[in-house]
Amino acid sequence: MLIVIPELDEEQVGNTVSRFRTIIERTGGEAGEPDHWGRRKLAYEIDHRKDGFYAVMEFTAGERTLVELKRILRVSDDILRHMIVKLPPSYAHQPLPEPEPVEASA
Amino acid sequence: MGKRRSPGGGSRKERPVKSKPCVFCKEDIAYVDYKDYNVLRRFTSDRGKIRARRVTGLCPQHQREAAVAIKRAREMALLAYVAGQ
Repeated sequence: MLIVIPELDEEQVGNTVSRFRTIIERTGGEAGEPDHWGRRKLAYEIDHRKDGFYAVMEFTAGERTLVELKRILRVSDDILRHMIVKLPPSYAHQPLPEPEPVEASA
Repeated sequence: MGKRRSPGGGSRKERPVKSKPCVFCKEDIAYVDYKDYNVLRRFTSDRGKIRARRVTGLCPQHQREAAVAIKRAREMALLAYVAGQ
């Protein structure tokens, strides 16, 4: 899951998210379709911003995916906050085509 | 029996033993999702604190998972750290 800054418009948010999708795929992971929650009010202010665009994506990770993804997420100025969570094997909300042992949602 | 609190506010001493199953067990939920902030909100006080197990009535496993999920949701600004300011 990640929060994109509210200054962008819907299209730019889509571009930002697909940028990370490319990174996942380039590093040997498999990315599902991102789930855009749209603009949402934050529960508290982050960097003096009261809202942000939320996007959730499920993906499987290759060996280098997490290192690379975390590094780029951290240096991206348009990402307000991000979180990568390892999902339990039993989790089957939106099953991916090929479930691998390392499974996570961002 | 089976009721958590006796209706009509009986005296504290004679409150029946609670035997209410945990809500996550009842609905057979294996993974408490941090994205379901509306569900998680039921387990926080109106100040945003995590409620105690004796209040939530969750089983040990699910109370622990719910606590982790609430903390994750707080990090992603889905739930407030300090509510009602």
